[in-house]
This record gives sequence, structure tokens and C-alpha cells, in this order.
Amino acid sequence: MKRLRIKNNAITLFFGIFVFLIIGCTGKQKSSNSSSESQPHSFTAIKYAKGFRIEHFDGYTRLTILNPWNNWTPYQTYNLYKTNGDKLPSEGTNLKIPLESIVVNTFAYFDFLEQLGQIDKITGITDGFRVYNPNILRRIAKDSIADLGDPFKMNLEKTLALKPNAILTSAYAQRDQYSERLVQAGIPVIYNLEWMENSPLARAEWIKMIAVFFDKEADADRIFDQIEKRYLKVKEKVGGVEKKYSVMAGDNFQGTWYVPGGRSFNACLFRDANLNYYYEDDHNSGSIGLDIETILTQFGKADYWFGCTADSYEELNEKDPKYKLLKSVKDKHVFNNKNRVTPSGGNDFFESAIANPDLILSDFIKAVYPALLPQYHFTYIKPLKTDNAL
Amino acid sequence: MKRNAILFSILVILLLTAFFCDLFVGNAHISIRETWAALWGSSGDTITDEIVRNYRMPKALTSILAGASLSVAGLLMQTLFRNPLAGPDVLGVSAGAGLGVALLTMLNGSFLYPIISTLGSMAQVIAAIAGAALTLLLILFVSSRINDSITILVLGMIFGYVASAAVTILQSFADPDSLKVFVTWTFGSTSNVTWNKMPIMAGIVIIGILSSFFLQKNLNSLLLGEHYASTVGLNIKSIRIVLITITALVTGTITAFAGPIAFVGVVIPHFARALFGTVNHRIVIPATLLSGGILMIICDIISQVPISNRTLPINAVTALFGAPMIIWIVLKRKKL
Repeated sequence: MKRLRIKNNAITLFFGIFVFLIIGCTGKQKSSNSSSESQPHSFTAIKYAKGFRIEHFDGYTRLTILNPWNNWTPYQTYNLYKTNGDKLPSEGTNLKIPLESIVVNTFAYFDFLEQLGQIDKITGITDGFRVYNPNILRRIAKDSIADLGDPFKMNLEKTLALKPNAILTSAYAQRDQYSERLVQAGIPVIYNLEWMENSPLARAEWIKMIAVFFDKEADADRIFDQIEKRYLKVKEKVGGVEKKYSVMAGDNFQGTWYVPGGRSFNACLFRDANLNYYYEDDHNSGSIGLDIETILTQFGKADYWFGCTADSYEELNEKDPKYKLLKSVKDKHVFNNKNRVTPSGGNDFFESAIANPDLILSDFIKAVYPALLPQYHFTYIKPLKTDNAL
Repeated sequence: MKRNAILFSILVILLLTAFFCDLFVGNAHISIRETWAALWGSSGDTITDEIVRNYRMPKALTSILAGASLSVAGLLMQTLFRNPLAGPDVLGVSAGAGLGVALLTMLNGSFLYPIISTLGSMAQVIAAIAGAALTLLLILFVSSRINDSITILVLGMIFGYVASAAVTILQSFADPDSLKVFVTWTFGSTSNVTWNKMPIMAGIVIIGILSSFFLQKNLNSLLLGEHYASTVGLNIKSIRIVLITITALVTGTITAFAGPIAFVGVVIPHFARALFGTVNHRIVIPATLLSGGILMIICDIISQVPISNRTLPINAVTALFGAPMIIWIVLKRKKL
């Protein structure tokens, strides 16, 4: 009995230590929000994007990335100075600009940096085999850009050894240990949340965010104004056309069909291309997982299908003969996103489309209303190859 | 006795050598001299110091602790259930931890976000520990009601299956990014543990390992069967609860900090018994401890080798590279 009691005490002791240690570790949190604020003398005008703001103070520029999961409260603040870093506020990450080197852990920014003439500042990227940008590929081949592996599991040692001025990485709801470690090693992390924006112009406007780090704000404003102009001009072309076609999107991935939610980037493009979309009133900004039966009932009669993963109708038929039940397949109105790809898996649709929303919108309009854009050739999308299988 | 002393000395030397090799090998090109300087003072470069002291060092320590403690936990389970296939995860604790992490990953963008975000990467650890602890409580509840080890073993495995099923359901609802975050966790990683997390992990794990040393006699009695053990005065029920608690704490903690790590816990106890030719826990516990640490640290070194710029998940390396080593030993000795 006595022995049992000792063991029971031992168990209690284990639990005690366990709980104590956990509380001890989680108890320490950053105390921030000390407000020793002066007023900014100017703001950068942001027309579409909700996820960041840029304010100019004497001697420095403040960039604030806002948190889409928490009512757009600040996610991270950066104080960017050119010459004198003495008068910076205590809050936020202080960085000397323009940056001389950057590691980019997101494909969407290659074209922004190229348009800003800063591609030579990139010293590291992830998933090199999936890159499309020929300029980046050349630099990887010449070893002036290092490939740091899996974007979700970056090679930390190699990243640290590059000693970049900063790292640009996609922020997810969960703060990952990689970013924490980089910050701990004194390398600032620039969090990218462009992918949470739900309109193509809002996403393209993030060029202004990255531009401040290279002191290229004026260039970014000018580039974005042109993007906006081009986009609205294309959109205008379908403005007077009767809205009669409907569209289906996404593809089957191991039994689940992911289609864009009604507040997503793709749904916005469909609206702007004057297309009916089953989920246009839905409030989801991510994707919605559906099964094949739901797809057949909700999208069976859709006229066009964008974002198919197959290359030909034959391949589609081999994957699943049920595809033939879809009107878009019967009418041969199916398009994939593989017009610009590399043999190893690079696809420009995931790279430069963000910075060129006018082109992706033109693609959709060209597919559905070819007469409106007679001179235009597809940039990112491609009709599936036709053959005798169907 | 002399043979054992020699074998133990070899294991200790191997462990220390492997530990130092792990500190000197990595993806950043740092010379042996620079690494040495960074270890004992400063290499003159802050990033090199950072890599050696705050990245490689805790990673090597985590490998040793994970390998050693999972192996000992596996040994405890094999002895308790008298089943050669038992391992640290038979109680469903790893699966429970996985369920915790899966829930966290999927709930992240939800109303819980403000709480989760203040915790940073500790959120994942806490979620895993909560999942593991819940499974442990279930198992302890069952153990207090049922007086048959095999039934507890079967129920533990059932808990594991239920947790895995729940994880699969969550995965089918997840968006591709969350899915990738979760899958990356299941790869296992010894580099997750930073110095500020180390005291918690090391604290719990070392307590677990040390307490198993005090149970040698009880474990030896268990080898003769529960019936015999109870006739020599062993309180089977209480010893069972103690063994389950130690195993679950150790496995839950390692899984929480380093992700699920398979293989080591099942195989190393067999290896240790075969190497020393005995089942006496006075020998087998330290032998298992050392061999587990050595295997894990070798696997950690292998997992650093980049294959087309990616490093291998430690969870796969343990089985892929561990299995041939063990099979070779078995073939040489003709038995385990």
C-alpha cells in the first residue's frame, strides 16, 4: 500500500511539473503597444488592398501589415529608414532601406520585383524546380540564387548562411517556428498576406508593399496605376454584353473538388469577366471542397470550365468518364492553366498572374467572348487538346 | 561483466562521436575550426555562432533525448504487455497528439485565432500535449477499471485508430495550405526545439527516463508473467499505471516537440537485448537508452543531406536507414 502511495505521489509530481513547465513557458508574452506616437506627415494611397498601410514620418516610413484573421488589427509593423536609425519608435521591426539582398519564399513576388527592377537583389528562393521566371532560373543556374528547399520547411542553415537583409514569406494563421528562428537570429521577416485579398487589383496592389523596402514607392505607384488602367479597360469591354454564360472552376483532387469561394480572387475575376458563377453570393474567401455528385448537380450545366488540371479531353475521359456528363466537356469549353509551364513543374500562372491581373481577365474574356478581343492570344490558360476520344 | 563494460564504453564513445559529428555537419558551409570556435567562444561571425549554438546544438540534443526516451518507452511497453511489437505509440498517445495538432491547424483562422496567435509556435506544442494528455487520461481510466494488460493494449490501439480517423476527417475538410502545414508536422523534426523550449522537453523526458531506472526490479518480475509477479508481491495494477504514465508522458512530450517519430521505439529494445544477450533490465535499460540516442543522432545526420535541395523528414529516415542496420545485425546473429 505504501509503495502504491509513493507511486501515486510520483504521478502527481509528474503532472505537477508538467503543468508548471507549460504554464511557465506560455506565460511570457510580448508586451507592446507603448504609444509614443508622432503623427505621420503623409500616407501612401491604397485603393484596393485591405492588408497593409504605408505612413511617412520624419526620417522613416512605417509599413503596417494588417491581420485578416483578427479584424485587420496590426500583424507586423516595419520602420524603414534610409540614413539615421536613431529616432525610430520602440515598436516594430527596424530596417535600413533600400534592402541589398532578400530571400523570397513566395512565387507571387517574382514579377513585382522584376517590374521594380530589383530581381538582382534576390539571393534565395524555395522550390527552385517549380520556378517559371526565366530570369530567376538563369540566376539559380549561375548559383547567384540559392534554392532553400521546401517552402513549408525551409532549410534554416542555408538561409541563415546567406545572411540576407530580410526574408519575404507568406504568413499563415499559424506563426511558424521557421520565422521565429530567423527573427531570433536577427534576420527580419517580411510577412506577405497578399493571398488573403479577394480581388485581383487588391492583390496586384501589394507591389506597393514590397516597393517600400527598395525605396521604389513612386515606381510602384506608377506601375500599379497602369495595371489598374489596363484591367478596367478590359473589364469595360464586357460591360455592355448580356450575362448569359456560366462557369465552373477547380478540379477533382483525390475525391474532393475544390472550387473557389464567392469572395475569392477567382470569383471576382468571373464577375469582372461577366460570367455567372454558382457560388457568387457565397461569403467564403478560400476554397470550398465538394464531391463529384454536388459538382454534377451544381455545375453540370455550366458553359465553361476553367482551371482543369488535364491536358486533353482524352486524359479527362481516362481519369473519370463521369466528366463527360458536364456540359462544358460536351461543348469542349474546358481550359487548363498550363499555357506557360516548364518541364519540371514551373507554371507562370502561379507567378506573374498576380502582377498582371489584366492578362488573366483577358484570358477568361477571350475564352468566352473571343470576338471582343480579336488580337489577343491566351497568356496563362489553354484550351484542352481535342481528339477522338469523346 | 567485463564484456558488458566494454560494450557500454563503446556505446558511450559512439554516442559522443555521433553527437559531435552532428554539430559539425550541416547545410551551411562552416569549417571544423569555425564550428569549434563557435562552440567554445565565438567564431567572429554572429550567424555562424547562431547556427552552431542555437540551431545545431539544440537539434543534436533533441535527437539524443528523443531517440533515448522513445526507446526506453518502447522497452517499458514491450515488458508490460510482453509483446515484441509494442512500442511507445501503442497507447494511442502519438495519435492523440496528432489529433491535437490537426485540430489546431484547422481551427486556426477561426474565432480562436487571437488566443492561438499570441502563443506563436508554442501553440502547436500545447495542442499536441493536450491531445496526448487526453489520450493518457482515457488509458488511465481504462487501466483503473480493467485488470488485463492485453485488453488495455487493444483499447490503446483502438484509441489510436479513433484519433487517426478524426485526423483524416479533419484533413478532408482542410484547405490545401493547412493540410501542408499539418503534413509537414507529421514528417517530424528535431530542429523544432529552441533553447527556450528545451527545459520543458528535457525536464519531462529526463524525469521519465530516470524513473524507469527505479523500476528495474519490478520490470524484471513482470518478465516472468503477471501471475508470477503478483505472487512475489508486485502490485500489478499500480505498476501498470506507473509504466503507462511514464510512457505516455515521454511519448506525448517528444511527439509534441519533434512530431511523430516511428520505428526507433519498437526496434531499439530488441537491438539492445540482442547486443547484450540479456533481458535483465538493469543492463537493458541503459543499453536501450544509449542505442536509441545513437540511432536517432545518426538519422539526424543523414536527414541533413540535401536531396535536390530538400532535406529528408526524420520520421522517414529512422525507418529507411534504421531498418537495414537492424536487419543486418539480426542476420548476423540469426535471431533478435
